[in-house]
Amino acid sequence: MKSAPLVVPALLTRRLSVATLMGAAVLAGTAFVAPDRAWANLLLGSYFLITMGLGGALFIALTNVCGASWSVAFRRVPEAMAGLLPFGGVLLLVAVAVHLPQYAWHHHGQGDSGTFWFKELWLESKFFAVRAIGYVVLWVALSRILINNSRRQDLDNSTAATAANGVTSVVFLAAFAISISLASVDWIMALEPMWFSTIWGVYQFSGLFLGTLAAMVPACVILRRRGPLAGAFREEHLHDLGKLLIGFSCFWMYIWFSQYMLIWYSNIPEETSWFIRRTHGPWGPIVLASILLNWVVPFFVLLPRPCKRSESVMLKIAVVVLLGRWLDLYIMIFPSVTGNTPMFGLPEVSTIVGVCCLMAILFIRSFAAAGSVPHNDPFLADSLRYHA
Amino acid sequence: MSQRILVATFDDEGDLLNAVTAVRRQGLRIEDAFTPYAVHGLDHAMGLRPSRLTWVCFVFGMAGAVGMLWFEHWVAAVSWPVNVGGKPWNSLPSDVPVAFEAAVLLAGFGSVFALFAVSRLYPGKQASVSHPGSTDDRFVLVIEETDATFDLSAVEQLLQTFHVVDTRELIREEGHGS
Repeated sequence: MKSAPLVVPALLTRRLSVATLMGAAVLAGTAFVAPDRAWANLLLGSYFLITMGLGGALFIALTNVCGASWSVAFRRVPEAMAGLLPFGGVLLLVAVAVHLPQYAWHHHGQGDSGTFWFKELWLESKFFAVRAIGYVVLWVALSRILINNSRRQDLDNSTAATAANGVTSVVFLAAFAISISLASVDWIMALEPMWFSTIWGVYQFSGLFLGTLAAMVPACVILRRRGPLAGAFREEHLHDLGKLLIGFSCFWMYIWFSQYMLIWYSNIPEETSWFIRRTHGPWGPIVLASILLNWVVPFFVLLPRPCKRSESVMLKIAVVVLLGRWLDLYIMIFPSVTGNTPMFGLPEVSTIVGVCCLMAILFIRSFAAAGSVPHNDPFLADSLRYHA
Repeated sequence: MSQRILVATFDDEGDLLNAVTAVRRQGLRIEDAFTPYAVHGLDHAMGLRPSRLTWVCFVFGMAGAVGMLWFEHWVAAVSWPVNVGGKPWNSLPSDVPVAFEAAVLLAGFGSVFALFAVSRLYPGKQASVSHPGSTDDRFVLVIEETDATFDLSAVEQLLQTFHVVDTRELIREEGHGS
């Protein structure tokens, strides 16, 4: 299998860099005028980035553990997405470091000592910071092993890398399941430390993987059009990505509703506070829009088989779901940080554009660092002949 | 009226796929193909229309969801209103899980029974197998000998190029499905 290398016009790279820098500049400017709003954008952007990277690693690990061969032909795409992790991790640690004093639980918990002893212990600033570093280091290290093994196979043509990645993938899945639950509780749920939801980890995972799948669709399609994945990424692969996308869209809705319904039913004040804020007043329509973008539209559009095999339909749905992913995080983060009035303006738009461009730069750099197709993978032939 | 069919058996799914393509190119009518497991790409090679079963599934699923939502509304808010935890009588969130289950149930049963109806399957139906090997390790292609121009030896020769294991002609009374 011969594959063309990825050629990126210098102009595009420059434009992406300029847009990223402009986004960063606007965010820095906002930090002087409205620090909370700037920080909420920073947290959202870096969490978006880091969960995309995690989703890429998760996709590789899941397919490795299942012994799946269908996705091998375009595996360099999730691998390049996992390459977002180091930078996304640093950005997230910056966000955590900047906000550490406000995060800290003891501001809220004074006078309540005893009742919330575990919360006080768990959300203590130093422990909180050390944990954040620990999660990021763990994710970067494991994803590095997955990527390096795969790239090494391109050179030494042995099946040892496949076997090694099988083991690493099992370790990653176990580590990921625990660490993403804890990390998302730390970084987002603890924004309102009195509120809790026991389904939070699953909810985070569902959105994370839905967003990752949505991002993989345009990446694969563009790389096929530009040459590197031409002949490797086929209609059958697009079809299967479509099946996963509709499946995880339903999974996200299922988990979202499970969280909502149990809290609605039991109607306990310390649990309902989170949803009352988000379903009453101006946030109500935003929550409905999130459900529309994350589930209603993808579900009904992707049901017919021809739609899942159509490049243009899949591209549009991918954009819809990515907007939904942003909105989902916006609803989680902004009401807790900036208050009851939804804000959407220049800082938000420039952060979205900046993060997208940064993602593109990091993705291109990571993708170009290796062959476009893992041509020595023992399952590549299977993947190239694959029928959905 | 009777009908003659040619039953050809193959050892390999690849041979069957190639034979199907070649036989269709010759303008011969394929009645059906029987394989021990689902062969990917066979439906495409045979030029079959996409299954309409997905639409049956969708319609049944929607009917299940909408029907159950209406029923729950009627039960909880119209016929016998019950105060549960001070919630409004007609509370959508509490109706969703059952509506979801009803959608899954009807979609599943609807698809299965629609399949039974369309393929005329019922308990106690006598199986009529063109070649017993198709339930074991053989890939069976059934070609219709519709018109007088059907040249048996030419067709057999064509199938030889795809390593056909065995061919035989069957005469079937009209009205007995294979």
